[in-house]
Amino acid sequence: MTRHLPAIIFLLPLSLAICLPLIGIKHREWCRPMAFAVIAGMVLVSIANLVGVLQTGTIHYAFGGWAAPIGIEWVADGLASVMIVALSLLALICVIFISSVLFPNLGSRIVPFYTLVLLLVGSLVGMIFAGDLFNLFVFLEVSALCAYALVGLAGGKALVAGFRYLILGTFGASLYLLGVGYLYAETGTLNMADLAERIPLLVTSKAIAVGVLFMFIGLGIKMALVPLHGWLPDAYTYAPDRVTPLLASLVTKVALYGWIRIMFWVLGAQAVIYQIPILFLVGVLGAMAALIGAFLALSQKEIKRMFAYGGLSHIGLILVGMSLGNQTGFAGGVFYLLNDAVMQAGLFFWAGAIIHLYGVRTIEDLVRLRGGPGWMSAALVVMAMSMIGIPPTGGFFGKWYIILGAVEARNYLAIVAVLIATLLTLAYFVKLFERVFRERLSSHDALTIHEAPLAVRISLGATTVAVILLGLMSDQIVGFLLRTAMPPGL
Amino acid sequence: MFELIQGWLQRPNYIAFVLLFLWGIYIMVTRYNLVKKLIGMYLMQTSVIFFLVTTSAKRGATVPILLSTTEAIQPEVYTNPLPHVLTLTAIVVGVATLGVSLALADAIYKKYGSLDEEDILKRLE
Repeated sequence: MTRHLPAIIFLLPLSLAICLPLIGIKHREWCRPMAFAVIAGMVLVSIANLVGVLQTGTIHYAFGGWAAPIGIEWVADGLASVMIVALSLLALICVIFISSVLFPNLGSRIVPFYTLVLLLVGSLVGMIFAGDLFNLFVFLEVSALCAYALVGLAGGKALVAGFRYLILGTFGASLYLLGVGYLYAETGTLNMADLAERIPLLVTSKAIAVGVLFMFIGLGIKMALVPLHGWLPDAYTYAPDRVTPLLASLVTKVALYGWIRIMFWVLGAQAVIYQIPILFLVGVLGAMAALIGAFLALSQKEIKRMFAYGGLSHIGLILVGMSLGNQTGFAGGVFYLLNDAVMQAGLFFWAGAIIHLYGVRTIEDLVRLRGGPGWMSAALVVMAMSMIGIPPTGGFFGKWYIILGAVEARNYLAIVAVLIATLLTLAYFVKLFERVFRERLSSHDALTIHEAPLAVRISLGATTVAVILLGLMSDQIVGFLLRTAMPPGL
Repeated sequence: MFELIQGWLQRPNYIAFVLLFLWGIYIMVTRYNLVKKLIGMYLMQTSVIFFLVTTSAKRGATVPILLSTTEAIQPEVYTNPLPHVLTLTAIVVGVATLGVSLALADAIYKKYGSLDEEDILKRLE
């Protein structure tokens, strides 16, 4: 039974996504509870899967009974199982947030809306478990198609942002597919484990070097690594407020996870292209992304856009941790990735809630939050502490392990980059807090105070508690990652 | 230099792929009309599919359907079937992307009354 759990996790959202348009014709109001129930079921099954993987070791799931190099294989190892648990928990919280009464009624569009959300979650599961490069491409595209449609849902400016996202995303996907084609032409296999065996023999091959570059540029566009991030700020700013947390916390992070899979499980940490270690290159790009993202966030006026740029800088920090090439750095990077997913979800919950409760979109307007419910400001403070990296939140310990890894690798530039990014993050949150806590409230700004609906309170509260819990339990979680989720040869 | 060019000319299919791919990118970057951008995008996707198919081509080989089930299989008689299968999936992905993108372009046209990117950006402000 344990053997089939990875497929069951995937089939839960997928089968409902297929059935929902049929059920929705008659019973529109069923969408919400059914989506919630299915994703809650996914959480339970993914926890069972994690326990199963820890007890019996990595699960290799061969679809249709065709064994690995020929058939399509899914691999549920330690890292994938941890990621799946995090993914389904975040999806559950996001689905609670999505169902809030705060947002405009979608009418009959609620059925395709939930279908897209479920399809998105299902395809992200597929990306995490995928054991071969082409399967990863297919799920990457399914998730991206859902994301384009969800961004465009808001109409108006979101349509243009969604269109730009689509053009750039498809360009990235085509480059990735081209890279896969190069690797296939050179090695004759697409299975990751099989490729890992064949690639070291062909490390001087130009086709492999160019194919890897194409794949990484393609994934770089998908994960919004800084010089390739053009689509992200607009897409996240104008996307419907209820979907932004789902996109921000999951889509780019899972693309990053796909990169980690290929980098460490296929190429190996010591891979070199034209005498340049790939990890060195990634470290430089990551440090640049961390600094430029934070700089750009500092100059933003809209709250959602500021958080979007903040997310860009955190993608860079995760890559810095990964690029150190030792276990501490890798575990720190993965831990920071989990933290960042939670923080992005929490920040966009907060931003979406204040837009709909108080009509606050820009930092100028934030004065109006004065006299609002204190717990919302408290949630923002906790999220900000984690974004900046102040103990006892998860963000601090993530950065701590990345810096420990950098000390171990004697990579002092990485430490400087992380510290400067931290200071810049502090700067843009100070700018935000100054408006919330210091400015005097003028009378015409006074505003009737609405209490947030229950769904918003639950989702924002859950992410806030999760950030603190991740911090308090960081020792156990990182120790756990070090024991179970390390790539071979690191 | 001469050998290099000679080597290229022996593989005209790869030259065709490179031309189509770059042409697609060129259209995507230089045209302001959204539908023309989509044409460029589709050209680029198709060129990647062409590349996958062309890697499986072999001189004197036939379609990968077994000629005889009793004799031992001779791999050199058949073209490589796997890139064709990948291509099939990639075509489906490409068509789905085109569908979503045309829907978005249609919604943009209904909202802004124009498909010209510069017009739309002007109206956004």
